[in-house]
Amino acid sequence: MAMESELVTADAVDASEYPELADYYQVYGVPLTVANSKVRVEGGMPEPMFIGQILKGVSGMTQKT
Amino acid sequence: MALLKDKDREQLQKEFAQLQNSVKLVFFTQALDCEYCPMTQQVLEEVVGLSDKIQLQTHNFAIDKEQVAAYKIARVPAVAVVRVEPVLILAGGKAATRERDYGIRYYGVPAGFEFAALVGDIMDVSRGESGLSASSKTALAQLKEPLHLQVFTTPT
Repeated sequence: MAMESELVTADAVDASEYPELADYYQVYGVPLTVANSKVRVEGGMPEPMFIGQILKGVSGMTQKT
Repeated sequence: MALLKDKDREQLQKEFAQLQNSVKLVFFTQALDCEYCPMTQQVLEEVVGLSDKIQLQTHNFAIDKEQVAAYKIARVPAVAVVRVEPVLILAGGKAATRERDYGIRYYGVPAGFEFAALVGDIMDVSRGESGLSASSKTALAQLKEPLHLQVFTTPT
C-alpha cells in the first residue's frame, strides 16, 4: 500500500519488543493494523476487504473533524 | 553462529538472483539500551551477504539526527527498505542513482513472519511493483490525507 501512494507509510512493528507501544494500542492479538493511530483492523483478511476497511475508517475520521 | 540456515540461504539466494534494481536497507541502531539491535544487525548482514543488489547503510539513532529525521524513524531497531534506481548511465557504464523511499519501515528484529515480509518487500521494492490488484491501486491513488499504517505482529 505504501508503494501505491506517497501519502501512505507502513510500519511493521514487533509487538513483543515494544510492550509500551503494544499496551498503548491494546494489542491483544496479531496481526493488528492501526491506521492513523485510530482505526483498528484485526486479523488477516482478503486484500479488498482489508483496504476497504482501512480507507472507510480513515475517511470517516476526516469527515468527523 | 549464523541465524539463517544453509537451506534458507540457498533459497534466498535463488530468489534474490531475480533482483533488478538495487535495494538499500537503512538500519538505525544504538549502542546502549537496545536489546534487539545486535540481532537485527546480524539478520541484516546475513541478508545483504546473499546478493550484491542489496546494500546495508547503518546509522546511529542517538547521533545521526539528520538521518533519523529524514527517514522519520521513531525507535530502534528500525529498518527502512528503499529502492536505489538508476537515473542515467554515465560514461564507463557507471550509473548515477537516486533513492526512492516508499515509506516502508520495520521496527524490531525481522524474524519469523516479519522476515518473510521483509524478503517480500525487498523483491517488491526492487521491482517497483506492489502486486496489489488494480482496484486496490485505484482506491489508494485517491487518498487525499496521509495514511500511517502500523502492523503489529509477533515473530511466531
